[in-house]
Amino acid sequence: MSVVRRLFGLFFCLTLWRLTLGAGEIPASPPCRLVILKIDGLSDDLLENTMNKRDPATGRSLMPWFTRIFRENGTIFKNFYTRGISLSTPSWALLDTGRHGVIRGNVEFDRYTGRSYDYVNFFPFYLMSARNKQVDMPAVELLDQLGIPLVMDAFPYESRIRSFQLLQRGVHWQTFRDVLKRRVKTQLFLSPVESVGPPSLYKTLEAQTEEELLAALNNSQMLYLDFYTGDVDHDTHLTNKVESLEDTLRHLDALAGRMWSAIQKSELAAQTVFVAVSDHGMNNLPDRNSQGFNLPDFLSSPAGGSHHVVTNRFQFDDYKIRGLAPLVHRTVAPSSTSTYLAKQTSYPTAWLDLDGNERAAVQLRNNDYNKLHILLQQLGRKDLPELERAAAVKYARAVIDRHRNEWDMTTRGLSEELDALNRDIENRKNETRRLPKRWTLEQRRRGEDKEARRKLRDLSLLEQDRQGYTDFVKSRGALLNLELNETKPYRGNIAEVIPPYCLGDSNSLYDLQHYVVGPKSSGVAVNAKGQLDEGGTFQTIDYFPLLLAQRVRNNLQTALPEAPVDFIAMSLPRESFRNQVPEAEHVYWLDGGNENQLLIMTDRFSRLTTRAVKYLTALPDGSITWTAANYGPNLPLRLMADAALKIPQGTTPVQWLEAWHTEGEWMGATHRCEYSNGVIGITELLSPIADNVPGAKEANKHLLRFDRRRRELVQADFHVFSSDGWNFNARNFNPGGNHGGFFRISTHSVWMMAGAGVPHRAIEQPYDSLNFASTILSAAGKPAPMPDRVVKLSNQKFRW
Amino acid sequence: MFNGVTAAMRYLFATSLAFFGLTLTAWAEDNPRVRNDRWLESAITGSKQVEASPRYRWQTADVHGNAQLLTLFCRNCFGVEREEVPVVSILRDTAGDSAPENDRVSYVWLLSVPHLNAGQRILSAIPFFYWRVGRGSDNLSEHDLKPQMNLTAPQDPMMSGAARQIVQWMAFDPLAAWVRAPSRSYQANATDNIRFHLEETISYLRTAPVSNSPDTLTGAQLNTLVARLELRKRLTGGLVDGVHAERFGGEVGFEEERVRSRNWEVLRQCAEKTGLYFEPVNLGDADGRYGILWFPTEDAQPPNPESVKLIWKVLSISDPWQDPRLKQWEGLSYERALDGSGRLLPRGSSGPRTVRMVPLAFYSLMYPRVPLLLADFRDRMHIRRHEMTQRSITQVTSGVIGISRLTNWYYYAGVIVYNFVAGRHGSAVNQALRLDCYAQFRVHLSADMSLDGRLRSELEARARSLTVSPLDSTGEHGAKLARARYSMLLAQTAGQSELAERLERDRRAEIANFGQTTKAKIGHSMLHFASVGLYTQRASKEQLSLAELDRERRFIYTLNYLSNTVKNGTQPEVTYSSADIAASVSDLNRLSVGILSVSLRTRAVQTLQKIADLTKNRTILADCRQAMAVIQVKPIPSAEMDPSIARRSLRVPESRTARPPAEVSADAFTASFK
Repeated sequence: MSVVRRLFGLFFCLTLWRLTLGAGEIPASPPCRLVILKIDGLSDDLLENTMNKRDPATGRSLMPWFTRIFRENGTIFKNFYTRGISLSTPSWALLDTGRHGVIRGNVEFDRYTGRSYDYVNFFPFYLMSARNKQVDMPAVELLDQLGIPLVMDAFPYESRIRSFQLLQRGVHWQTFRDVLKRRVKTQLFLSPVESVGPPSLYKTLEAQTEEELLAALNNSQMLYLDFYTGDVDHDTHLTNKVESLEDTLRHLDALAGRMWSAIQKSELAAQTVFVAVSDHGMNNLPDRNSQGFNLPDFLSSPAGGSHHVVTNRFQFDDYKIRGLAPLVHRTVAPSSTSTYLAKQTSYPTAWLDLDGNERAAVQLRNNDYNKLHILLQQLGRKDLPELERAAAVKYARAVIDRHRNEWDMTTRGLSEELDALNRDIENRKNETRRLPKRWTLEQRRRGEDKEARRKLRDLSLLEQDRQGYTDFVKSRGALLNLELNETKPYRGNIAEVIPPYCLGDSNSLYDLQHYVVGPKSSGVAVNAKGQLDEGGTFQTIDYFPLLLAQRVRNNLQTALPEAPVDFIAMSLPRESFRNQVPEAEHVYWLDGGNENQLLIMTDRFSRLTTRAVKYLTALPDGSITWTAANYGPNLPLRLMADAALKIPQGTTPVQWLEAWHTEGEWMGATHRCEYSNGVIGITELLSPIADNVPGAKEANKHLLRFDRRRRELVQADFHVFSSDGWNFNARNFNPGGNHGGFFRISTHSVWMMAGAGVPHRAIEQPYDSLNFASTILSAAGKPAPMPDRVVKLSNQKFRW
Repeated sequence: MFNGVTAAMRYLFATSLAFFGLTLTAWAEDNPRVRNDRWLESAITGSKQVEASPRYRWQTADVHGNAQLLTLFCRNCFGVEREEVPVVSILRDTAGDSAPENDRVSYVWLLSVPHLNAGQRILSAIPFFYWRVGRGSDNLSEHDLKPQMNLTAPQDPMMSGAARQIVQWMAFDPLAAWVRAPSRSYQANATDNIRFHLEETISYLRTAPVSNSPDTLTGAQLNTLVARLELRKRLTGGLVDGVHAERFGGEVGFEEERVRSRNWEVLRQCAEKTGLYFEPVNLGDADGRYGILWFPTEDAQPPNPESVKLIWKVLSISDPWQDPRLKQWEGLSYERALDGSGRLLPRGSSGPRTVRMVPLAFYSLMYPRVPLLLADFRDRMHIRRHEMTQRSITQVTSGVIGISRLTNWYYYAGVIVYNFVAGRHGSAVNQALRLDCYAQFRVHLSADMSLDGRLRSELEARARSLTVSPLDSTGEHGAKLARARYSMLLAQTAGQSELAERLERDRRAEIANFGQTTKAKIGHSMLHFASVGLYTQRASKEQLSLAELDRERRFIYTLNYLSNTVKNGTQPEVTYSSADIAASVSDLNRLSVGILSVSLRTRAVQTLQKIADLTKNRTILADCRQAMAVIQVKPIPSAEMDPSIARRSLRVPESRTARPPAEVSADAFTASFK
């Protein structure tokens, strides 16, 4: 007993001693607060160059705060890249979720319903939000529906402050009220003396948001704070004048300085991690203007197929009154040379997402829909000779029969999903009926009112989708049951079988190489066997060589390539490659011309390889033929000619490029090349999107399938990438620079961290967007969405 | 009321008839057919091409040992090949040393401004008279040495402009149309003339070299100078303080570059859409600020007319593909080489094929949002007609009919809506900005030696016809006038001259204004304007001391520098050198001795307090505390002051008199700052 007493006494003394000893020390606690400075479109090259420059007036760096905070005291990721296309919404979605992308454009169009997912238009969002009809920006709504949380969702609602941004959750209306007050005050009294002209609403909003963020930093309850600025993206699009860009970066630096100073003054200074991150770089060079090539003009011209073209904004909208329309999310640029769809602008056949401008996602109406549309028009003619009529009817039936199984399956699948959706909608309706109409202050503080509005909004979106897909199923049914008579003109309504604003199923490679853009002037042509002569009836275009052959008259800079189009990328069915490359799970084709084509393949272990090919051609049965080629310097991504390709010694570039390697190996070998992580980027852009959709918790298998189907339906037929220094901006003019492509200058982004436990380091190891969220969440003691993507830093104090 | 309206309508009708007649006359004068011979001759003859680009340099002349007359010389300007012509002069008050901290840029002269004679002034008061009469005078008088702007009193032009407007509204507008219309016409022409010359000066200054050497302007000085000239064009520009003006000067340059590069791309894409060729043009030293559209007479691929309707509006020209004149074009045209892919090669190059090109239109890329048409080679009267129509509408509505912005607001609301719609469709609706572009064009064209002679002659003729003011006679004797004015200015740099007197008056005003409160400043300004400039607050001649002026300027300079270091609200030594901050704090401390103004001392203490709050540098902190203690407790002249300052302290205005230490404790004084 005495021994026990003695031991107990000893333990007590030891504990007391340890407590006394440790009383003077601040116990190390893990970082628990994240402050993120989100900078849209800041290229790491531009930032580094500016940081390296000295201000002659001060003798300091032109960006003294970035230098002090991150370069001298924090961790800099010197080789951080956008994964996939270097475009704002997809890039922020990757950074803000830490998962593979489910958004692949700034705007996406549903092929069946024509619904536009416009992720970048703030006006409808604010309008709907003011009417209590919407809570989050469309991209966030979508991610919620698909069951993908944002980084900020890891923190309780009442402990986060978020600014105005593309992936915005909720609107802080008080900020707007304060902005209006501030604006009136500034305009009336200070602007003549200080700013010369009144400050823009955007600048005032930014100032107000910053003020709120700095105030919130004093509140130790606030654990997640972010500040988004689009100034750099805006300016680098407009100008490449170095002094102007440096001026913009100085403002950014001052902002970082104010944020850092406020963090240091706050109670949680020792537990705060300050992060600066950008979504993509910018192809902005001081001695070169970016030149535009108007893709919609090309597609609406006779040479391009005379399409009525859909874009998310009006072309040349600065010179149109309707360009001011704030709620626009889909516009049709009619073609005045359209043949079979003349003046029928509700039948746009080319849908484009041009944002970012170094790439364009192209969706064309299903080729067989075009054929059927033309044939139904021809069959409606009273003067069509009997022989031609019979041939046309037979051909139309054959087209439908060829697709019957596939279309039947789609219709059945969709019907099942719509049934499940109906039940889900009913359940949601019941749930929303029970929601309170009034909210207490405490409930509002916890964000319960917004949660309720989110449910109502979800319900409304699902009802819209239900309507859209129900209409589609109906039209598809009508098409499958289409009755055609060999002796009488077709009297049906074409819109019932081929609905307006509907693209039908995706096009195959064969379709795109033989794309029907209209009837030939002779109308229906019949061959000697009495069958419809396809070549004599339809005008067709092979889009791949046609796009690559485009040249412009006004190419004013000799340093720019002659061809505005660099290469075209699309996904191919793996079946055609099973014999030659049995490991290939997915195959992606990059076409830089008949003799310059590259295949990128992934296997089931997510390893990648490439093959140089030429003359890749699709046959009518869907099979694909090609010829193996040598790796030449002009292959897409130009890896062979790139001196920065870093491969193990003793290995030739061809050997290395044709072997299977992990993503990490590819990243290490190619990230300094002209197209940096383009090989990985292509797989992120073109991989089957359905695999990335986890589905909401409550989703059953039909609803999950429905979610995945909806994502698949917004995928482009092919993506066009511009040559270096060119862009596809048709809405306006971006002579300064552009982004969207895989050029290193466009993908090389910023990631810097400083604060609690972050060591002083410059990391050379290349990383991409997928590493970001997992690492910072892990730093803040939260579960990482992809634990294998957490970057382990040395000298770790906490979780690093 | 009804009679009044009827009378106005009659007058309007009569005036319109007169205007129509005059326009016809002018058209006959300017009609290309009338001048066709000269044009053709010019087109055939061509001229010698001079490759050398004009170079600009500063030349300095000493002014009484304590100021400098800096003159910008331009080689090859005004068509004078291989010779230098002075273009802009600037008076910089250096207070007798070479340090830039205490410099003040006071005056600016555009040397080539012609003398305005009485006839021109009278004609400018005649409504609907839009023609230049004669070739302008090449003589100058002493009166013509009046500077273009006094930068030390930027509010003066603003206030006098406002006064003129008020007189117009109150005195002339209520009178009959025969009073109202001429007064408005005169004022409009005079305002345009001033603006035109301001922009000419800015255009020259934009190409001026900068450095920290004592013989040139520094970057900051040039930025402030350009900003002041730019701000003079704006309604409340005179209110902007020096610090903001310097920043504004830089930002104006950034914005101009954005406008330029955007318009470059607009014109390129418009050319591409319409089947034309776009070629950027470097006039003088203005790189890529202009562009020309060429029409290919062979190998042409006309666009679909329906799809390019909007583009012709943006380009402000009619569809050349539908123009039969171009099929038998006898005007200016060139054989130009194209490369294999159809790109236009630079003039003088050879390529696989050549195409005959007709110049269609010449544009300035400096007008916001759209390229501004400067020359329509198919329609000589196009721009002039447009300018005259716009001016006529304004004169009819505000001058003849007397439509008021207050009582007839709906008319102006309609005008705003019309302008907005027209602007959205690509029209250049801002007359003042168009005028700026015309002024730039004249300056750059006069400095150009690289264009083909025929084309330059053609453009010179167009440039002369761009303005519609009888006061405009720039360009006729530019070089001669500039040299004459420069000689006259040089003559004033020595001995007792008007220039010396100006300098002294300004220094006395500066001393008197130093450290005044805003209220006092406003009060004195009001008195100045109420007395039509007869009263200006100035220190007496005895009180003028260069040493005191130097100290005051350095004090302000140092205070502004220190304020800048904490403007961001962050640790100052991160963005600025610790040694510089410490030295400036020490300088402020030293210079504050004898600074009596409470407002300045308050500002100095507030600034030092802010630095002390933010700094983590112990030396700076200690220096700030020491300086604050000194500035707070020594509000009266110290023994170190020279006798003239001590004398002045007896007569300082109330606002500048600090309370003696006996009346206020140091704590209370400190508290007043918080």
